[in-house]
Amino acid sequence: MQATWILPDGKAVTADVKPGQNLMEAAVAHNIPLVVGECGGSLSCATCHVVVDPAWSGRAGEVGTFEDAMLDVAEAERQATSRLSCQIRMSADIDGIVLHVPQP
Amino acid sequence: MTVWIPQDDGKADLTSHDTFAAGAPHNTFARLRRDDPMHWTPWDAGEGFWSVTRHADILALNGQPDLLSSARGIRMEDQSYEEYLARRTFQETDAPDHMQTRIKVAKAFSKPVIAGFEQVIRDLCGPILDAALEKGSFDATKEIARQLPMRMLGRIMGTPDPDLPWLVEKGDALIANTDPDFTDHVLDKMTTDEYRMMPFNSPAGAELFTYAKDLMARKNVIGDTSGVLHLILQPGPDGSVLPEHEFRNFFCLLVAAGNDTTRYSIAAGIQALAHRPELLAQMQAGEVWETAPDEIIRWATPAIYFRRTATRDFEMHGKTIRQGQKVLYWFASGNRDEDAFEDPFNVNLARSPNRHLSFGQGGPHVCLGMWLARLEVRVLFQELAKRIRSIEPAGEQRFVRSNFVGGLKELPVRVTLQ
Repeated sequence: MQATWILPDGKAVTADVKPGQNLMEAAVAHNIPLVVGECGGSLSCATCHVVVDPAWSGRAGEVGTFEDAMLDVAEAERQATSRLSCQIRMSADIDGIVLHVPQP
Repeated sequence: MTVWIPQDDGKADLTSHDTFAAGAPHNTFARLRRDDPMHWTPWDAGEGFWSVTRHADILALNGQPDLLSSARGIRMEDQSYEEYLARRTFQETDAPDHMQTRIKVAKAFSKPVIAGFEQVIRDLCGPILDAALEKGSFDATKEIARQLPMRMLGRIMGTPDPDLPWLVEKGDALIANTDPDFTDHVLDKMTTDEYRMMPFNSPAGAELFTYAKDLMARKNVIGDTSGVLHLILQPGPDGSVLPEHEFRNFFCLLVAAGNDTTRYSIAAGIQALAHRPELLAQMQAGEVWETAPDEIIRWATPAIYFRRTATRDFEMHGKTIRQGQKVLYWFASGNRDEDAFEDPFNVNLARSPNRHLSFGQGGPHVCLGMWLARLEVRVLFQELAKRIRSIEPAGEQRFVRSNFVGGLKELPVRVTLQ
């Protein structure tokens, strides 16, 4: 399965992601710039903020209560389809998902 | 030139605070990483514990808070459940309680909000540095490293400036409660259990308890809602409100954690500059400010270990860790792991990536104040590098007597000015 990150300069990086892996871990494993994940995916840092491409946002799941609060804490300004990528797990439903990495 | 060489014989007693009064026992950590990465230490003053010393293992376990709980205490010392409840902060809780409290203050400590303090920090640094540097020879921990975090904490909490020295003294007595230079009630030598329900098992905790209550009463009278103390008292998304004793524990945590850690990071950075003149030149060339703060904070590792407690039996490196046993993540060791850092005993201000563990990265309790710490370190060294032409050691350095939070408590240096 695959995900694509669109960097602030417009460059796209597509990488393999294992089913069940969260998209923060995948980004860190592939050295996607600006996706850090300081808290290891436990909703404590907001350093894995991404904006889900609107074409995919309906399939990427709901924003949880703590995620909602932490999105307000992220460095880049929150947008309508902002998510913490540690909270999105790869599955057949989102194979090929496109994520925009926001400019801090 | 080497900044500092570990002194231990490779078999240091990790339970002994005296061990750490000579600096962290890195020869011992290196041996454990190599030969016994899940190491059992029996202890005559409490239950024994497991030591995790490899970078990769600390990261892997820290990411499993369901398996390794914070809710039985985070220090080596045992606590009764009664003591735990009386003394805990959100640092000693698991999901979801931890996040219920954390999100109340997360914004105040977030990167964009903290970035707004840069000029405040710069304005604080100027007078601190000028007063110290004009002495020529001075103790850099006392005159510089101790000063900035204290003043900044006052701004974050909304406490009156005249109270700051007293607050720092009490904060020191809490965190460095095993060092006779900081407290009359040395934890491992106490003969009374009078304070066991107080934060950090310390009489300073009792005084800070009273101070916090009075401070909030004074702020309420004048309708002052500035600072993070007001935020922590607001209801969470589930409507829950922090009980009063937990609010006061939180206050003690801020006073303690907000002071010592950044102080010892700044001190370790100055120590590095004093032993390796080329580091000052790199700073003055202005090319390392993106990476230097994290390298200084890696080099310092002020939070030496944090403890967790196993919630069920598990196996690792051929050992069986039983439910209820204590497991210590030695961040000081992980930050010198040869498998994670090239030339880990070298201070490399351009190190990138720098996946150090000083902030407890990789787990839910990652340091709330990490953006503030990085910013304070960067701005302080920018201002220092602007002012000095040289800095060198001018006497014996001394470390805090603590295996928990530690660093250089005395750092005599001599400077020449630009």
